[in-house]
Amino acid sequence: MLTLTRVDETALAGTMTEIHLKAKGGTDAGRPRVSREKRETVGTVTVENPRMVCRNVNVYYGDKQAIKNVSIDIGCNEVLAMIGPSGCGKSTFIRCLNRMNDTIEGCRVTGDILLDGVNIHDKDVDVVPLRAQVGMVFQKPNPFPKSIYENVAYGPRIHGMARDKSELDAMVETSLKKAGLWEEVKDRMDQPGTGLSGGQQQRLCIARTIAVNPEIILMDEPCSALDPIATSVIEDLIFELRSQYSICIVTHSMQQAARVSQRTAYFHLGDLIEVGPTERIFTNPRHELTQDYITGRFG
Amino acid sequence: MKKAVVLSIVVALIAATAGMVQAQQRDSISIVGSSTVYPFATVVAEKFGKAGSFKSPKIESTGTGGGFKLFCGGVGVQHPDMSNASRAIKASEFETCQKNGVTDIVEVKIGYDGIVVANSQKAAGLKLTTKDIFLALAKDVPDPKGGEGLVANPYKTWKDVNPSLPDVKIEVLGPPPTSGTRDAFVELAMESGALKFEGLKKLSKEDGKKFQKVFSSIREDGAYVEAGENDNLIVQKLGANPNALGVFGFSFLDQNTDKIQGSFVDGNPPSFENIASGKYPLSRPLFFYVKKAHVGVIPGIKEYLAEFTSEKAWGKDGYLSEKGLIPLPEAERKQVGENVKALKTVTEVK
Amino acid sequence: MNSPIDTAAAPEPQRTIDIVNRSLKRRYRAERRFRFYGLAAIVLSLMFLALLFVSIVAKGYSAFWQTSIRLPIVFDPAVIQQDTLVNADYAALVREALFKKFPQVDGRQDKRQLTALMSSGSVYRLRDMVLKDPDLVGRGAEVWLLADDDVDMLIKGHFRRDLPEAERRVSDKQIAWIEQLESEGRLERRFNTTFLSAGDSREPELAGVWGAVSGSFFTLLITLSLSFPIGVAAAVYLEEFARKNRWTDLIEVNINNLAAVPSIVFGLLGLAVFLNFFGLPRSAPLVGGLVLTLMTLPTIIIASRSALKAVPPSIREAALGVGASKMQMVVHHVLPLALPGMLTGTIIGMARALGESAPLLMIGMVAFIVDIPKGFTDSATVLPVQIYLWSDSPERAFVERTSAAIMVLLAFLVVMNAGAIILRKKFERRW
Repeated sequence: MLTLTRVDETALAGTMTEIHLKAKGGTDAGRPRVSREKRETVGTVTVENPRMVCRNVNVYYGDKQAIKNVSIDIGCNEVLAMIGPSGCGKSTFIRCLNRMNDTIEGCRVTGDILLDGVNIHDKDVDVVPLRAQVGMVFQKPNPFPKSIYENVAYGPRIHGMARDKSELDAMVETSLKKAGLWEEVKDRMDQPGTGLSGGQQQRLCIARTIAVNPEIILMDEPCSALDPIATSVIEDLIFELRSQYSICIVTHSMQQAARVSQRTAYFHLGDLIEVGPTERIFTNPRHELTQDYITGRFG
Repeated sequence: MKKAVVLSIVVALIAATAGMVQAQQRDSISIVGSSTVYPFATVVAEKFGKAGSFKSPKIESTGTGGGFKLFCGGVGVQHPDMSNASRAIKASEFETCQKNGVTDIVEVKIGYDGIVVANSQKAAGLKLTTKDIFLALAKDVPDPKGGEGLVANPYKTWKDVNPSLPDVKIEVLGPPPTSGTRDAFVELAMESGALKFEGLKKLSKEDGKKFQKVFSSIREDGAYVEAGENDNLIVQKLGANPNALGVFGFSFLDQNTDKIQGSFVDGNPPSFENIASGKYPLSRPLFFYVKKAHVGVIPGIKEYLAEFTSEKAWGKDGYLSEKGLIPLPEAERKQVGENVKALKTVTEVK
Repeated sequence: MNSPIDTAAAPEPQRTIDIVNRSLKRRYRAERRFRFYGLAAIVLSLMFLALLFVSIVAKGYSAFWQTSIRLPIVFDPAVIQQDTLVNADYAALVREALFKKFPQVDGRQDKRQLTALMSSGSVYRLRDMVLKDPDLVGRGAEVWLLADDDVDMLIKGHFRRDLPEAERRVSDKQIAWIEQLESEGRLERRFNTTFLSAGDSREPELAGVWGAVSGSFFTLLITLSLSFPIGVAAAVYLEEFARKNRWTDLIEVNINNLAAVPSIVFGLLGLAVFLNFFGLPRSAPLVGGLVLTLMTLPTIIIASRSALKAVPPSIREAALGVGASKMQMVVHHVLPLALPGMLTGTIIGMARALGESAPLLMIGMVAFIVDIPKGFTDSATVLPVQIYLWSDSPERAFVERTSAAIMVLLAFLVVMNAGAIILRKKFERRW
């Protein structure tokens, strides 16, 4: 089903070395703060075992540049959090990763976003298998106006992943279980998905996404419309899903980033300012802008 | 999947109808033309169809001119077989016909239609002359003070026009210029009214075009109201407004004698007998024309002609006279009937 | 504490609540006024609507009853067997029965007046009876036959009896006969099945709307089955697939303009293209349907596009996010949500098409057609045309038939709309 072929590690490494890295390396905590005016990325953008590699990505909405020369890796089985003030481009960036920006009129993406060594923005890359491989959960819970069962079964069905009804049933059940929703909905699978509570709806959307069995899950502020209890349920879920998927999450809540992610990237006005292990970013940010943000000086 | 089903149904439907069109040969007579002849032709068509041997002819009311345009379009099933007309075919129309291969045309004169000037039963009946009608309705009239030239119509009431008429504001509801009734009214009433004036009579001899403009221009200052093609509407309005006069076909007067009365014109009331004898001046002959090339091709044309020209249809006591058609004199009926039987074609048109 | 000196010396800053309270009355007054205007507008339009309905129903309801006369008909073999059963002189049977009923009537003129009481259609009624049951020949039967439209008008009170005889279409003698028949129970107003089952006729008592209803049905079937799929497909393509550029802008402007083009123009187009170029038959519902399709397409496209626009983008993103192709997104999610809106647009378009007569004039559907159309290529007319033709007929009895035909047209419209509303309810997702 998936047309993206997997290239072996050495080939991947080969491409990697040719790519110009604008980031300055080093995790040395003792180095001085980087001043506010500097816009180059601070911290290590590469990881040892990347699942997705982004290099020199620029995004334009018409004449306006929304993302400026961003390079970052997404590792296997990690949760990468993207934080930053409103309008900094983190949502725009995450939407590039499965080409959701294609649907926006006048949006143009340059640079390389490599998945299995293939630039997903190449002309001959088909978005359908790409999106099956890179799933997405949106800010506002958006279940289809169909039954709970149909919501989860939709992905496997259109991709022809189940041979018969029982297999499909099993897929729906597994996905709902993974999303931690099974116990709550197993008796009312034929009821509309839009009738669930906000938190349940969002978990339904997560179940719908993982039913297709993607390799990477993109989450665009998945908890912004939810109350603290629903949020913590989702956060627990993200934590568990990490073992099987690479997850990229955009969030406004620094606490959330701190709780669920291993690495954090800080965006500011379209620039990727700083990347690093979550703990270090929150305890010892190196860029002054990052520090301003996490200490609440603005944003 | 549902979509596919719907789509295939649509495709099948189109294919089926297209096939039917290909295979179809017209099996009913198609008639077009004058709205004045329409009420009579339809009666014959209905009787003819109900008699059972043939399908009922289809009759479109397109107006005389529009009818000839379709009729002279050519020979073949897509063109009509007959055209009704409230006047004889014009030379230009005949030429068009010839040019398009419609060479043999049979003319059938079916009777007369009277045009009446009527008002409500609630008001007094009027005794008009064509001269009165011209003076009351023309846009420009000879100077009442005796001058040579024409002046814009100064008359406000019927009494102004003719002292013997009542002192009532001139208000006439009539058909619009697109109507055949209007053409006939202008020709029969206005023209002969205009000819009563010496000056205009002279003009008609010297400059026919200018004369035509004088008698066919109807005043536009509100005295003449264009009431649309619907004659029933005029009848209704007359009932509501006893001061108004209306201009329409005789059959509408015939059907509504309890509500309206016809004005005398030149001393004669618009009655069945007066129109038939030609005493009532506002009457015109009605015709229909048959494409000879279609006789025998489209089933029933000969039989339809026979029905139309039978005594029980167009005769003195025929069912067409019940609908208001004024029959031809007996001798003329006989002559036309023979011509039709022999399918005698029109050879030249003046 | 509220001494005048105090306030004069130091004007205290006003509290917001005071300012609000001061303007409050004015605001509520404005609101009440607005509500009153709105209510008045609605009441006024309802009144006009009621007036319209009342006037149509008041004029038209009587057309559903028709005067019939019961006559003792003797199916005289001597008369019937002179010719074939089809062509026999059935009028003679009616005449015979009448003369027997009124033996005192004498003289040609009087006999004519007497036979004029019966509709010319009674002949066909007797013929059909005999054809259906040839054993009737030689026997007698009491048969209800239609009365002439003038008799019907008199019975219904549309002709006044107190006018001088010359100004009436029914003579004194005829009135006397009618009264005699009435007193003998031989004259009755019965439900007018002819009106609902027959085609057009020049005799009001024989005229019916069924031909026009069938014509409207076939025409609208063509219109619906073409304009709905084409309109929806065009809307989906323009809204979901086409790139936004100068060409699509041009197309959009043109579609909007087409929706405002007078309908007669579509008739001219139909005449030029379907009749003259493709050689399709004149007066056929097929061509009428095609012309009305052209006319309703813009309406349906515009309504469908706004229905598509109203589908929340989050649903599209959700579908695309799990890897649905654009087509799957549209067919599985967007279309079902937009369908109610599209159906509404279609109803509006179809209702307009149902009431249209101007474009049909050009393609020959404004015609006198007696036979009831049986298919898409039979000559046919439609309801509004029938109404127009009847309103222009001189016979008085067509006045009530015109109104009755309008009632039938409205009923047709109601049935059509109800169907669409049921469909819409079925597709509407209320969650």
